[in-house]
Amino acid sequence: MDFLSECGGVTMQSDLDLRFVRMQKTTGLHLAMEAENTLQQLTEFADTPQAMTYFYELFRNFYKNGHQLPAGKKVIGTMCLQVPDELILAAGAVPVRMCSGAYAYEQVGAEFLPAKSCPVVKATTGMLHINQPVWGEDVSAIVIPTTCDQKKKGGEMLKEMGYPVYILEMPASKDSDAARFYWQESVKKFALDLGETTGTRITSAALQAVIGEKTECCRLFRKLNDLRKGKTPLIFGKDIFLVTSAYFIDEMGNWQQAVRQLIAELEEREQNDLAVTNRQAPRLLLTGSPPLFPNLKVPILVEQTGGIIVADEVCSSNRLLYDAVSYDEVNLDDMVSALADRYLKPCTCPCLTPNLDRNRKIVELVNSHKVEGVIYQAFSGCLPYEMEQKSISQTMNEAGVPMLYLETDYGNEDLGQLSTRVEAFIESIKARRRKK
Amino acid sequence: MNSFKKAINNAHLSRFRFYFQIASFVLLIYGGYLAINIGDQLPTFACIFSEHRGGSCYLLGLQHQMGTPWSSYFSGRGIGILVGLLTFIGLFLVFNKAWCGFVCPLGTVQDWLTILRNKFKIRYGGYSEPVFQRLSKIKYILLALLILIPMAIGNSFFGLATLNHDFGVPFCQICPGRTLLPIFSGDFSQLAIDLSSKTKMVFTALGLLITGIFLAGSFIKKRFFCLFCPMSAFHYIFAKAALLRLNKDGAKCTRCGNCYRACDVGIRAIADDLEHKNIVKDDCMMCLKCVEMCPEQGCLQVKFLGVPVFEATEDGFFKRMRGRDDAK
Repeated sequence: MDFLSECGGVTMQSDLDLRFVRMQKTTGLHLAMEAENTLQQLTEFADTPQAMTYFYELFRNFYKNGHQLPAGKKVIGTMCLQVPDELILAAGAVPVRMCSGAYAYEQVGAEFLPAKSCPVVKATTGMLHINQPVWGEDVSAIVIPTTCDQKKKGGEMLKEMGYPVYILEMPASKDSDAARFYWQESVKKFALDLGETTGTRITSAALQAVIGEKTECCRLFRKLNDLRKGKTPLIFGKDIFLVTSAYFIDEMGNWQQAVRQLIAELEEREQNDLAVTNRQAPRLLLTGSPPLFPNLKVPILVEQTGGIIVADEVCSSNRLLYDAVSYDEVNLDDMVSALADRYLKPCTCPCLTPNLDRNRKIVELVNSHKVEGVIYQAFSGCLPYEMEQKSISQTMNEAGVPMLYLETDYGNEDLGQLSTRVEAFIESIKARRRKK
Repeated sequence: MNSFKKAINNAHLSRFRFYFQIASFVLLIYGGYLAINIGDQLPTFACIFSEHRGGSCYLLGLQHQMGTPWSSYFSGRGIGILVGLLTFIGLFLVFNKAWCGFVCPLGTVQDWLTILRNKFKIRYGGYSEPVFQRLSKIKYILLALLILIPMAIGNSFFGLATLNHDFGVPFCQICPGRTLLPIFSGDFSQLAIDLSSKTKMVFTALGLLITGIFLAGSFIKKRFFCLFCPMSAFHYIFAKAALLRLNKDGAKCTRCGNCYRACDVGIRAIADDLEHKNIVKDDCMMCLKCVEMCPEQGCLQVKFLGVPVFEATEDGFFKRMRGRDDAK
């Protein structure tokens, strides 16, 4: 009896193992196909800047031989842009933003997460689940800020999988002194704990150097952002999302170098008045759930349909790189609290309440980039974004800017209806123009 | 013209301010050596007790004049009081609260203490918002007292007995400017308790205590004293009419809080107030560090007679940041 049940147990175990290995293989294949497919679509546009090749190749290599983590240094995964990557770098480790946009990984996550959970959490948790045997040893910590509930609960699952999960406590509001000090203390503790995890204590010199590098990244991002203000459309939004997604995985210096080249090329195009697309293309802003590589479905669709995304308000792009750290004194106390402020005060994540800064930010972007229409992407299952849609839509209504609300996910099943709606939206903007 | 404007907006204003403060300090403390005196109605703490001063603070004259009996207000002395006040207002209106950030010797001393603290790598202190709001009211009480106490010398309030002349210039008696600024011209005599009467003894002892608190406080908290300064309260009565202004365009503000971090006094409204265009608050000293730290094009603007003279720009912000990050 004992013998039999043991045998049964072992068989079941190995059945699971086999299934896991099979899933690993198919996921790997699907992921590679998915990445290649997105890259294919990205490169099919005409007149793409030469300098974009760097970013296409970066992602091509990244997914070619299976999803790799950087080798050599300690890797610290981050699950949200609220994690100050400056501290991780100053502690001598490599930050890797884990938020995944892969449908293949979402399918893995769907196996054990509720059907209604959001695709980002499904894909990210799925990715970490399927890669656990390979990555388990290499990841020194996975940092999860207490932003949205799904990430928090996902974190608990990752802990069960055996990952060293670090919870970075974050307030649900940013206006009160109490919230600000709570977050500053949280970040301070994180800085100290990081030193222990990596064995390298964070010094003010190291942190100052990293903040300097990050500030340069912000400067470059803003330069790109400024280049999108002009009448002549110089670069597609889908490419910008790729550039900012590259920041998740690339080494800062290389990223800066590549972006500098891109800026130089765009400036040259600006001088020669060389438009990347039809000058009459409706100018759009994308906000809502983040486009994460390889899921650039909506930006690509919008721009294939004849619009151009000239501005965005998402956490994988503008919110990630727009704001620079402003410290007043070169000492750890001031720099770490300045860093904390940078990650809380300008944040416009719908996890925060109130979040009217988001409405104001979008209105300002609409004005500065002469936006004619707003695309609001909400991943089904991401309730904060879905619920905030109403408030943003009302603000846009008051500002006289039409808005298209798209509820979608990582799959391609809804591509047909999305494309019909996007087409109609773009046509309606053109019609509005004729009326004016 | 455009490139000139750009150069100004890209400037490290704080460095300029550092040297400007030194020059003002030298002028106001040592100007007498060169026979320079820019008047006794200055809207800033240049102390009458420094022997070789190049000008002095209006609060002494004001307190002195407030001791005038009511009946004399409408005589020739009244004209004197009015001329003094108008001179003060006139001088103030030109530079607004920049008198505090760029000229005030006592403010400069506090900034030097901050630099010293930085050298020792000691962390700074600050107030939470509610404490700040409460402390911020003290300066108005001081202002009221420095006017009312002298009035009670020359006049009787509600039939009460008048105060004796030892109550004269009460604020000067407790002001850290009186005890500290003469030291810079080698005069330590103000660091003493005046035992000639009980009143003076109490006042001057209080003065020494406040001096101690001033030194310790401003070593830890940037511009510690400014929050309590009655001159700053007096300024604020006229600040809305000043020629030099600091404006904020709320629509351009992302509430990133850079300006609030940079603010030595700790004025929260600079980051959170989206409605008021004129953003000079009663505690502001117009050091303009907020403008330097603001990365939003034209969000904060310094204007003189309506003409923008210095404004927040993205370029300027990153230039200054780079200067900061490279200076190791």
